[in-house]
Amino acid sequence: MQLHELSVREIASGVRGRKFSALEVFEDCLGRSAACEGKVSALITTTADAGRQRARRIDERIARGEDPGPLAGVPVILKDNICTRGVRTTAGSRILGDWAPPYDATVWALLQDAGAVLLGKSNMDEFAMGNTCGTSAFGPTANPWDVARVPGGSSGGSAAAVAAGYVPFALGSDTGGSIRQPASYCGICGLKPTYGMVSRYGLIAYGSSLDQIGPFTRNVGDMALVMGLLARQDPKDSTSTCGTRGECFAELQDDLKGRRVALVRDFRDFTLDPGISEAMKKTIAALERAGAEMMEVSLPTVGRYAVACYYAIAASEAHTNLARFDGVRYGYTVNSSAGMKDMFQEVRSHGFGSEVKSRIIAGTCLTEPVRSEQYYVAATRVRTLIAREFAEAFENADCILQPVTPSLAPKIGEVDDDAMKGYESDLYTLPVNMAGLPGYSFRAGTDADSGLPVGLQLVGPRWSDGRLLSAGLALEKILGAPVIAGGGN
Amino acid sequence: MSDKAEKSKNLTFTPVIGIEIHIQLRTKSKIFCTCSADYTNDEPNSHICPVCMGLPGSLPVLNRAVVEQGMLAGLALNCSIVSPTLFFRKSYYYPDLPKGFQITQSDLPIAAGGWLDISDDAGNPKRVRINRLHLEEDVGKLHHSASDGRLEGAESSWVDYNRSGLPLAEIVSEPDISSAREAVEYVTTLRRRVRYSGASDVDLEKGMMRFDANVSMKCSDGRWGRKVEVKNMNSFHALERAIEFEIRRQTKLLEDGGEVLQETRHWNDAKEITRASRVKEFYRKFIVEPDLPPMVVSPEWVESVRETLPEMPEKKAERYVNLGLTPVDAAVLSDSLDVAEYFEACVAAGANPLRAGNWTRTEVLRVLGERRIGAKDLPVRPEALAKLIGLIDDGRLSTTLGKTIFEAMLQGLSFEDAMKKSGAVEGGVGADALAKVVRRVLEANADVVGEIRPDTRGKKIKFLQGLVMRETKGQARADEVVAAIEAALNSK
Repeated sequence: MQLHELSVREIASGVRGRKFSALEVFEDCLGRSAACEGKVSALITTTADAGRQRARRIDERIARGEDPGPLAGVPVILKDNICTRGVRTTAGSRILGDWAPPYDATVWALLQDAGAVLLGKSNMDEFAMGNTCGTSAFGPTANPWDVARVPGGSSGGSAAAVAAGYVPFALGSDTGGSIRQPASYCGICGLKPTYGMVSRYGLIAYGSSLDQIGPFTRNVGDMALVMGLLARQDPKDSTSTCGTRGECFAELQDDLKGRRVALVRDFRDFTLDPGISEAMKKTIAALERAGAEMMEVSLPTVGRYAVACYYAIAASEAHTNLARFDGVRYGYTVNSSAGMKDMFQEVRSHGFGSEVKSRIIAGTCLTEPVRSEQYYVAATRVRTLIAREFAEAFENADCILQPVTPSLAPKIGEVDDDAMKGYESDLYTLPVNMAGLPGYSFRAGTDADSGLPVGLQLVGPRWSDGRLLSAGLALEKILGAPVIAGGGN
Repeated sequence: MSDKAEKSKNLTFTPVIGIEIHIQLRTKSKIFCTCSADYTNDEPNSHICPVCMGLPGSLPVLNRAVVEQGMLAGLALNCSIVSPTLFFRKSYYYPDLPKGFQITQSDLPIAAGGWLDISDDAGNPKRVRINRLHLEEDVGKLHHSASDGRLEGAESSWVDYNRSGLPLAEIVSEPDISSAREAVEYVTTLRRRVRYSGASDVDLEKGMMRFDANVSMKCSDGRWGRKVEVKNMNSFHALERAIEFEIRRQTKLLEDGGEVLQETRHWNDAKEITRASRVKEFYRKFIVEPDLPPMVVSPEWVESVRETLPEMPEKKAERYVNLGLTPVDAAVLSDSLDVAEYFEACVAAGANPLRAGNWTRTEVLRVLGERRIGAKDLPVRPEALAKLIGLIDDGRLSTTLGKTIFEAMLQGLSFEDAMKKSGAVEGGVGADALAKVVRRVLEANADVVGEIRPDTRGKKIKFLQGLVMRETKGQARADEVVAAIEAALNSK
């Protein structure tokens, strides 16, 4: 087995036990990424030199008898909307230019403290707006299982990189499915933690009340390990409220006896790709084998209003979050001799891509004083109802099992431009963000026709992240852990 | 004269004025980050960080001290504290606004429903209601290269973000004000109370207090005129002049049958006129600030803040009048908290309130003005002044000698040293010492003594008394001196 195929836990223990060096691991992962990048294009920036230097320092510390931490020498890739001091951070947009943040995101600081080594920054839909990686200003990323297909988005680069074996884990962000959907398309594990579980400090915001950073891994044990390090209350993020709840990742239980897993009655009539229906059946059988009881819950408001309300809230928050990009302080700018207004206009017209602009315009319209009550404010009220509906469902059920998307990864360029169709495919993912719930996306099987991975997700009440991963462990023991994709080779 | 103007002829117009005041709250650090709030004289952009620069990925964290200072100011203005309190994003584009939105409050401000008592133009008591006090962040400062310092036409502009993120409280009155004079009384009363509370230094010269006024005219036929927002007033004088100008302008317009446009006008301090803003007002939109969860303010927290609120100036003035001071003196002494506390400490140390008030109002305030210091920094402590006043009242010191001692203490001498330096003896002149001085004076002025006749006795004794008083440097009581002279003459 090559080093890049190892899990997080295996690499850290190998480096700490001096079975191999951090530098050897880094070089092997770098080699793997170089072999795939030509076809996969998962990375916007590769930090080869800085990574080598850091890997050497970790080896030196180990030579001195120090412990660099539970992620000693583990290479990692961060979605390019996570700020890394001194390393260009683009959010997949032209408007940030070569901006290198003067500070580290809290998650990156935590990973560095644990001994992780940065291999690169991954491609993403511009400002995380999209579900194919196709809105990136840096071109598309390909699915390592079939390079003619999309890896999903917006965290498609991170998902593709983990699936192709560049690194054993990567971070993404999920505003409406941006971790779970690419994890599902790429056949790996992806967790969108409970809102407030992981600090957002240093995450370039899209919809601040919906955004949450989470990991991609190739097994549930690594997921728990990484989450145990990231789930920390951060004084720099007032919405980070997990307290000591990060302890839930310390020990997973694979016994599901007496656990009630629900299917959503209101989603029953939606058409699913056959491969996904098949995976649902297999997973239900596996859950029952592990001792779980299956049941049904109803989420009528979610089914009817979640998509519209989600886009109203996300666009409203996004248009304020993106207002700071005016060319005055950093990033892409133009000669401003024409005057202030022209400068703003030109910077924003050329700096942003069309998907981002359409959402900024939507957000601007929905929050105009004459319409705000009808759209933005109404959506925030419905959001409260949605959260309540989930909470009521979880009075009876421990968690919900549902697809991540109704179909498998589409071909690049085949995704039609009909924005609403793209938005509808988010029905399974975005209500989870609306209610601030955790959602765990895992590989449930393989589509017989296409050979593509099929992912499903478990959704639980707030702060049940650890229990979701426990169920994930039980399933992984029956269904098997993800394997590394070909990556176009 | 047009028909319209004809119709308007017999109508009268009453001003309806509401005032919005921005004050900078006194805290060590900015409202949402740990950058120092005191950047006076520092290099531009030397007090900035990712948060107050609004860098991508940065998040605001509310400074608790700002909430407390906001509560303090709110309580000083008779407001109720609102819980939970919530923040919003107010969106507009301007280079001095680093995030493209200002974090401010709208619904659920920290304090609401207050009032201040002033007097109307006829001298009758009047209550001005305060709608709310809300917290917000200040923006950066623009510097333009154009000769007139304006943005339009400038060749280049710079932005200094040191001010970005300073904590502000905006205080919005109801439109209860009817004249420029009332407006000034409202803002002076407000400033005095806020400064008392310690929530802000409200230093106008440092831009810690800025005013906007909403002025409209109510017609005697019941119609209400359109509201004009007048901005850019940075002093009481400017506020008064701007409102006066606007009332004249609108009255004239209406009397001539014209219409007042609903608009924003800027006060030009040099020309003393208001001018319609050339830039169309920004379209301001609000959404909830998702990065700051609603903050619950517990009743215990409110009470602990309320406990730090000192007795307010009007209450103090009332008490001083009860001590026998004139209303004018009481108002002067209670105008600022440090002076009021100085005066009260002086009285508490045993000084006669009238004398203490007089000394504080004349000598103490003069020195504070000259030295531009607060009463807490005055070298003459109130206890020392009380002692001095006591000796003068007892006739142990002349007022003149008292002032000399006061001056010496101002130079930094202790009470005892100041007494010595001025040749004064603590405890005054004893009977024996006085008798000696009298004997000496009588001997030296034997000719005068010799001239004493029944009809000139009073006059001659008065003359001798003056000499004795001078010899004793005013430390002997006049009646005792006369008695001693009489005794000496009689023993001859």
